[in-house]
Amino acid sequence: MKKVKIIFMVLVGIVIASCDSNTIQEIQPVVTNPTYNANVKQVFSAKCVSCHTASGNQYPALANYNQVKDAIENGSVLCRIENQCGDIMPPSGKMSQTIIDMINNWKNQGYVE
Amino acid sequence: MKLSKFTFSALLLFAFTFVSAQDDLMKELDSVPKGKEIASAAFKGLQVCNMQSTKLAAKGEWYFLVSHRFGDLKNGINNFFGLDNALTKLGGIYGATDWLSLGVSRHTYQKTYELAIKYRLANQQVDGFPVTIVGYNTMDINSELTTDLYPRLKFNNRLAFTSQLLVSRKFSNTFSGQLAGIFVHKNLYDELLDQKNIYLIGAGTRYKIAKRLSINLEYAARVNLPEDTQSVYSNPLTVGLDIETGGHVFQLVFSNSQPMNDVAIFSNATGDWGKGSLYFGFNMYRVF
Repeated sequence: MKKVKIIFMVLVGIVIASCDSNTIQEIQPVVTNPTYNANVKQVFSAKCVSCHTASGNQYPALANYNQVKDAIENGSVLCRIENQCGDIMPPSGKMSQTIIDMINNWKNQGYVE
Repeated sequence: MKLSKFTFSALLLFAFTFVSAQDDLMKELDSVPKGKEIASAAFKGLQVCNMQSTKLAAKGEWYFLVSHRFGDLKNGINNFFGLDNALTKLGGIYGATDWLSLGVSRHTYQKTYELAIKYRLANQQVDGFPVTIVGYNTMDINSELTTDLYPRLKFNNRLAFTSQLLVSRKFSNTFSGQLAGIFVHKNLYDELLDQKNIYLIGAGTRYKIAKRLSINLEYAARVNLPEDTQSVYSNPLTVGLDIETGGHVFQLVFSNSQPMNDVAIFSNATGDWGKGSLYFGFNMYRVF
């Protein structure tokens, strides 16, 4: 009897734990007036600079304001993260749409630092 | 595959050793057949420090618990060594049977309600089964999230879980050890800083230094961190001092995790021992 109960509880645990997950960014509204320091920097720090370092191990470098701005203006950053060209970036998978929209807002508003 | 075969044969070997021990002729001369004596608890507190120990509430026992973790010690006198920014945990634990207890607690951190279930699967015996095995599951309900800030919030997003398997052994009257396999799952996580699923291997020990005092140490290592990013969180490392006073167990702890719910302890420790960023606090248990 005891064993049956235990197995039952473990099963219930697994069922509960297999719930679908969301990310905080998915359920957040899009940031309408983003700035580099408040919003953009943390995305590139977390998702890009481990390869795209300041010294440019992986082209383009994405470690500071000027590098990120330059790569968006003259490179293909937005089209890569939107999965419209080349291989998707970051390689771990497409980021939440709210992040991509935020970066677009940042670009359209003239790269506020 | 080879490993599992090896473990299986090792277990089989253990099993035979126990069987042959039971067949001991001298023991058969004993006039009264009796079950093996259960070894006394490996840990005095229900927690090692932050991590659960393999001790359970006895049948019908109520525990009332209060825990505090003060703010970051690194800020020194500016916030009175952390006393200004304390987190609190208030909770109760009930022993439904000797092998099953249920707990509920409320945490300041994220206004979390934590439901917990703890069940013993095997007991360490004197000259018998070598370890105590306990399962522990928690479910957190984050009541801080609001649809004002997160318009697409579903109730499901408030939940987070841990599943833990704890294996302890009392080596002597003064020394006990514990190993833990821990799985953390979050229904809502930060995609820039955090992970949906985290696996940890943990260990805890207790060393008794006086009749009513023991020093405890625990650590858990996250084993599935992404290789290409540097986690902003630390592996939880905690040192504690147990003080027994009659019906109370009082535990003083120094930890790199300020929150006290298991999900946050194991996956969101923000302190860093190397940088002196630590949280001091205590757990206090009262038995009824």
